[in-house]
Amino acid sequence: MKKKFVGEKAEKTIYAILAIATFFLAWAFITTFTAAKETTPGPIEVLKLLVTSFFQPIGRYTVYGHLYYSIRRVLIGYTVATVLGIIVGLSMGTSRYAEAIIKPIFEMIRPIPPIAWIPLVILWFGVGELPKYAIIFIGSFTNVTLNAYTGAQRVDPTLVGCARMLGTSERDIFLRVILPSSMPQIFAGMQVALSTAWMAVLAAEMIGAQEGCGWIILRGSDTTNIPLVLVGMVIIGVVGLFLATIMRMAERKVCAWNRMDV
Amino acid sequence: MSEENIKVRVTNLTKKFGDLLVLDDISFDVKQGEFLCIVGPTGCGKTTFLNSLTKLYDLTAGEILINGEPVDLKKHNIAYILQEYSAFPWLTVEENIKYGLKIKKFSAEEIQKRADEVIEMVGLKDYLSYYPDQLSASMLQRVVIARAFAVQPELLLMDEPYGQLDVSLRFKLEDELIRLWKKTGTTVIFITHNIEEAVYLSERILVLTNKPTKIKKEINNPLPRPRDVTAEDFVAIRNHVTDLIKWW
Repeated sequence: MKKKFVGEKAEKTIYAILAIATFFLAWAFITTFTAAKETTPGPIEVLKLLVTSFFQPIGRYTVYGHLYYSIRRVLIGYTVATVLGIIVGLSMGTSRYAEAIIKPIFEMIRPIPPIAWIPLVILWFGVGELPKYAIIFIGSFTNVTLNAYTGAQRVDPTLVGCARMLGTSERDIFLRVILPSSMPQIFAGMQVALSTAWMAVLAAEMIGAQEGCGWIILRGSDTTNIPLVLVGMVIIGVVGLFLATIMRMAERKVCAWNRMDV
Repeated sequence: MSEENIKVRVTNLTKKFGDLLVLDDISFDVKQGEFLCIVGPTGCGKTTFLNSLTKLYDLTAGEILINGEPVDLKKHNIAYILQEYSAFPWLTVEENIKYGLKIKKFSAEEIQKRADEVIEMVGLKDYLSYYPDQLSASMLQRVVIARAFAVQPELLLMDEPYGQLDVSLRFKLEDELIRLWKKTGTTVIFITHNIEEAVYLSERILVLTNKPTKIKKEINNPLPRPRDVTAEDFVAIRNHVTDLIKWW
């Protein structure tokens, strides 16, 4: 059984490596042998620039500095969005009144892309770090909220009844039944929100930033330095993948009960 | 029945859902430490009755008293075992069994002591760290039974708890239940549509009518234990109950 599991894991890793290798080969092929080579840099060129950017600053900082700023912005905006999203979502899922009041407003605001909020956010918070957190917050809040809402709605009423019968207070029903029962849904929302938070980085760093991974892309775009744009994209992709993996590990730990068949 | 011996008193219990009359003016008493079975045709409102008793539904009219007082789930120590599996999936077997004790804020030593006792009784010792998803149907139901008995309920309500189990498991868990009931002296109200089960377990049987539900008959069941489902007097009571709820 264990041997089989290890085998499956190795197999998955091999497939992942093959897929990524194929992607880079295709990229190299297209940018070497087709008309795209006139406009698009190949992987080697981008990789070279990426490696140098670890030692030579782009703008004020090397990649480390840019990473530090972007990760900090994402983590702050995302964490606040997650905490508030869980509270709002679970309230909507458990209280008819909260649902009736919040849901319509929420549905209206939901489709507005984070980038559209930039002028207002600047007006409210200026051009410091706060508006950047706000944009990332806007980019990730919806997913967590909606998933927590669905999670709370799907809680088995039998379990709530049983808990109540055993003398559980309303507060404990929330903490001991609704919250743990919604956890798998909440994690799914947090996972999606983590990607949308990274998507919002670019929008956030449009606001008077002089650093960050999104800023690298904007800088490259402004100076028509396409390799630089791609370096920014690769960094966001890799860091996003890294954070998503950490998140999945956390989910396995917290929701171990929900993964018995895996 | 003397007044102080009465655990549950139901008077003129009536429940309507809109215009539909489900429970029609039902009155009966349950004695302290009694094992009462309620049987009736499918859909006759057995579950509605239990849900009214546990205040999941509001009563349309009438009154349910426990120890002479209106039902209060915080005060009265009631446990409820349903047909659906109701172990909390995010808690291990051990955590599930300790849940009610933690909610009722017993000391850590008391929790461990009582948990150990019931775990021993239902034979789940080797499965303490398992999650419900990893257990079979009968083990799941044992977890729920252990969780209920751990709080040493003054009143245990069971709504077709073995309805989804196969016959041999059902017999086993029925015997286990009788053992636990005798040991703890708790009052049990057991709802079932299985007549043989009712005769096997109960000291008294209430036979309900079709909707709108009334009590058709009350049957005392003094058979000695352990009971033999093939014994003549057992079969006689079973046939009698069957005749009462026959709708064909």
